[in-house]
Amino acid sequence: MIQANNVSLKYADGTVALRDINFSVKPGEFVYIVGPSGSGKTSLLKLLMGMEFASSGSLYVMDQLMVRKETRKIRKIRRNIGPVFQEFRLIQGRTALENVLMGMRFLDIPKRQMLDNAKNALAKVGLEHKASVMVEKLSYGEAQRVAIARAVARKPSLILADEPTGNLDYDNAINIMNLLYTFKDKNTAVLVTTHATHLIDNFGDASIIRVEAGRINVEHRGEQK
Amino acid sequence: MKNAVYFVKESARIFRSNKLSNIFSFFGTVLILFLLALVVGIWSISSQLAVLLKEEAEISAYFEQDIQNVEELLSMIEQIDGVRDVRLVDKEEARSRMETILGEESGILNLFDENPFEAYFEVKIHLEKMDSVFSQISVLNGIDYVRENREVLEQIEGISKALEVLGYLVIAAVSITTLVIISHMIRQGIYQNREQIKTFMLLGAPDNFINFPYILLGFLLTFGGGIVATVLIDILINQGYINIHSTLPFIPLPPKNQLMLGLSIFLLSVSAALGILGSLFGVYTSKNKN
Repeated sequence: MIQANNVSLKYADGTVALRDINFSVKPGEFVYIVGPSGSGKTSLLKLLMGMEFASSGSLYVMDQLMVRKETRKIRKIRRNIGPVFQEFRLIQGRTALENVLMGMRFLDIPKRQMLDNAKNALAKVGLEHKASVMVEKLSYGEAQRVAIARAVARKPSLILADEPTGNLDYDNAINIMNLLYTFKDKNTAVLVTTHATHLIDNFGDASIIRVEAGRINVEHRGEQK
Repeated sequence: MKNAVYFVKESARIFRSNKLSNIFSFFGTVLILFLLALVVGIWSISSQLAVLLKEEAEISAYFEQDIQNVEELLSMIEQIDGVRDVRLVDKEEARSRMETILGEESGILNLFDENPFEAYFEVKIHLEKMDSVFSQISVLNGIDYVRENREVLEQIEGISKALEVLGYLVIAAVSITTLVIISHMIRQGIYQNREQIKTFMLLGAPDNFINFPYILLGFLLTFGGGIVATVLIDILINQGYINIHSTLPFIPLPPKNQLMLGLSIFLLSVSAALGILGSLFGVYTSKNKN
């Protein structure tokens, strides 16, 4: 699913975000990416999303080498990814349901099934009663859950979630992690960046990528060892 | 097709997101297309008029009124190369024609004790052979003098050609202006929705999906402008024909319905094409990448 070989990421201003990292993720694997702020967690997700590209080394996502100029290929890869952005990236002036549908309109999903997927996803994040509410009228935590619903409704092969529980109370955070964890059984790889290390212990069967000063340390726990 | 309703709603939303500017762009497009229709309409009328008048190109050959061999003279003229038809217009018909031309003022002819008009030959000719026909008729025995209306015909043809050139210039100017207006409007829409477009890109949406609502909006606005301009030009033509028929009935205008149909098809086709081209130009010159 993901294969990183000696990948480094250096920004135009000279900042080195990631240094010579190596790791791989298999289908159905659940991976936490942890580390202090500014350690390179989000940069790593950006690389996987094709928002940034490796300065050196090679990164394969879904067996495709991520190369800057291959826009069409990158978009095609993204169609199989369920992204949860740190800033949510919901589309203003639309309802929660419309936002979830937006993530599927250009996918090869029939209209009826698209609507069912969207409603089910909203129900799973506990927002079925807010389906017709404009996203700008939702609370921060609710907006975050809509973003998660949009990602999972697509039934992707890979979920990349940047701090998906960052604005949620403990119960909602556990619910969201439970939801993401169910995708393990659907052969979907899930990568979650988080500060909430206390949540990790609730989901033992997972790998942990610890990022610090651009370097990583990979640890496998539970059945994923 | 599953996104047909979505695309229409998106286009409407993009229009509303910058309503005032888009309304001005719409009316600007209507005015430009109306101007185009006006010039093309005048061009079309004048060139058809020139054709009709060319067909009516004729020479009036006046003969000595006391000659006996009028029929023989007519036969000789008929045989000249370049002559299409000859007929004798007698004194009474000549007077009757003048009465028609003078209309309400024709009473002035009653001031004459006798019919002041002379009989003459009305010679319809091929315009390009006017010189040759003119000189051959002039030297015939019994012909007093010959009158031709070449200057008028040449002036009309000149005006028609000038209008043709002007028409091409206006088409070019209108095309460029419409393309600029529509593409600018589309770029403005894309800029205002850049965050949404970025999100779509991050979700993997293909360019066709992202761009389609903008192209649809450009097409609908320009085509809508074309429809309004067509209605306006049809009203103008209707009114113009009524006025011309009542004040200048001798001007041979082309059939009204044919002119209106031709102009409508032209205007709608041009507006549709410019709408699509302007939108595509706007979309592909905007800066969103990846």
